Amino acid sequence: MFFHIVLERNMQLHPRHFGRDMKDKLVSKLMKDVEGTCSGRHGFIVAITGVESIGKGLIRDGTGFVTFPVKYQCVVFRPFKGEILEAVVTMVNKMGFFAEAGPVQIFVSNHLIPDDMEFQTGDMPNYTTSDGSVRIQKESEVRLKIIGTRVDATEIFCIGTIKDDFLGVISDPGSTS
Amino acid sequence: MASIEPFNRLVKLAARAFYDDMTTKGENQTKVGRSDNRGTAVVILDALTRRQWVREEDLAKDLKIHTKQLRRTLRFFEEEKLITRDHRKENSKGAKIYNSAVAAAVDGQRNGREGDDKLKMHTQSYCCLDYSQIYDVVRYRLHRMKKKLKDEMDSKNTVQEYICPSCNKRYTALDALRLISPYDEDFHCESCNGVLVAESDKLAAQEMGDGDDNASRRRHDKLKDMLSKMEEQLKPLTDQLGRVKDLPIPEFGNLQAWEVRANAANRAANGDPNGDSKSLHGFNGTPMPYLGETKVEVAFSGADDKGDVKSVNTSTPMKVLPPWMIREGMNLTKEQRGEAGADPKIDGAAPSASDLLDDKKSAIVNDEEKIFQDEYVKAYYAALLNRQHEQVETVKKEEDFLNTAITNEAYDTSTQRQVGMKFKREDYGSGEDEWEEAPPAGGGSTSEQFKVDLNVEAAASEEEDDEDENDWEDG
Ligand SMILES: [Zn+2]
Repeated sequence: MFFHIVLERNMQLHPRHFGRDMKDKLVSKLMKDVEGTCSGRHGFIVAITGVESIGKGLIRDGTGFVTFPVKYQCVVFRPFKGEILEAVVTMVNKMGFFAEAGPVQIFVSNHLIPDDMEFQTGDMPNYTTSDGSVRIQKESEVRLKIIGTRVDATEIFCIGTIKDDFLGVISDPGSTS
Repeated sequence: MASIEPFNRLVKLAARAFYDDMTTKGENQTKVGRSDNRGTAVVILDALTRRQWVREEDLAKDLKIHTKQLRRTLRFFEEEKLITRDHRKENSKGAKIYNSAVAAAVDGQRNGREGDDKLKMHTQSYCCLDYSQIYDVVRYRLHRMKKKLKDEMDSKNTVQEYICPSCNKRYTALDALRLISPYDEDFHCESCNGVLVAESDKLAAQEMGDGDDNASRRRHDKLKDMLSKMEEQLKPLTDQLGRVKDLPIPEFGNLQAWEVRANAANRAANGDPNGDSKSLHGFNGTPMPYLGETKVEVAFSGADDKGDVKSVNTSTPMKVLPPWMIREGMNLTKEQRGEAGADPKIDGAAPSASDLLDDKKSAIVNDEEKIFQDEYVKAYYAALLNRQHEQVETVKKEEDFLNTAITNEAYDTSTQRQVGMKFKREDYGSGEDEWEEAPPAGGGSTSEQFKVDLNVEAAASEEEDDEDENDWEDG
């Protein structure tokens, strides 16, 4: 799920950036530092949409670095249990398959793949129905439901299922290409 | 008024459903025979339903189990959130406060406490059922059981587990990212690099084929069966939960508060025995001594029992008997033989004998009786003397018995008594068949004796006496 929230961060700026475009430098550094990171609390920081305020800088003794408290608005993505996501399959093996929804990695174990889909090994390992009409392989897009999340301080990992109504393959790369 | 009874029932049901085969194993109790203490958990919970706050030592003594074992079980129940416990250092004074509180709350239930130790500080543990928490815990437990089965049934929302066959380390699907190896498509153990195997579903592990259609259907059936069985077997419990749902949950508060309240209630009850005590302790309107609720059981066993009826009668023989009841009165006096010491043989003859001997006896002994019976005492006197000579033995036997008979009859007027006598004799005559207790043969023989006497000597007897005589012949 996406959220638009305000976060705060103390930015350290090298003295060489002190000048007319110091603020731009600060913001670009913020983007570089923060976007794409993940915190267990807020989820993945997808994009910074604006800077609310930059507090008074504090010069560090000895180094000359200046610390600015920066408040910024950003879009975060945080997966929840029970949430339904669309994801791209990245790897298929006999234990199940891995998929990515943006920055989030999701594992779907084979017992949460419908019983009528069987694992086919080979160059392009895949799960296929007996009539071959539905196939899950690398680059397939699937809709899945998250049934568990593992949230660490800097990492979120999910497990999902496609064994439910309206879940499963939503486009088959083999048929389109 | 909040009743604790439904909640106690809940506790008992839950105890039997979930803790019936629970065993607590002591560190040193390794022998199977000794450590098999299944059922104690249920016993302890049952005992707690009859108490409020209880000192664990006392409870152990009541249940005749070792304090250690009790503590172990109680600790378990504390973890299960069924009971709350309290530990405090106390001297004899603290114990006294508690004891009086117990006395107030559970009258007559406390048992002998040891001699008060002189201001020695002891750590005492107390425990008490936590009804509100029990209600929640039981509901939560049922919910989890059901959910687990249902999830397993749908193979939904279950996190696949993996196990390393070589070192038995376990992983879940959430660890998948760390377990994949770049070289093959298996999951590998982090510590020994062995190939992990998926752990088949725990509940239906047996007879599991390798994921083929049939096996999964079988598994599904089995789980479904299990679920329905569970629902069926736990129905009493769920019913009780439903019944308890809207009732106010009994609360005892913590130990100190409970003691204070119990003692206050006690004082209030003592000061005002008319039952205002309930309103005095303002505790959400729930009366404190839940356990004090008295059950009165009335057993109507054997109400139709002949013996019982008789005993009822025997308890009221001294009341004024209406004439038509005199027969029964006589019967009773007969049954009071223990105190009357009369020979059962004379029952049939009792009426006439009583007349005669009464007269004699009352003339000699009893002034009051004499007043009533003076008229015919005189009439009979001569005859009596004669007869007495002849029947000294019989008379002696009868004397005591007649004494009581007289006391019964003395309440009636003499005429009434005469009528009564008549009825009585008639009753006896007809009743001989029905009433086995009345010995007809003996009665017949004695009456015959009397009859002879009367025929000979009763020339001057009054009308009443003639009637009597006739009756005797009839009898
Ligand atoms: Zn291992």
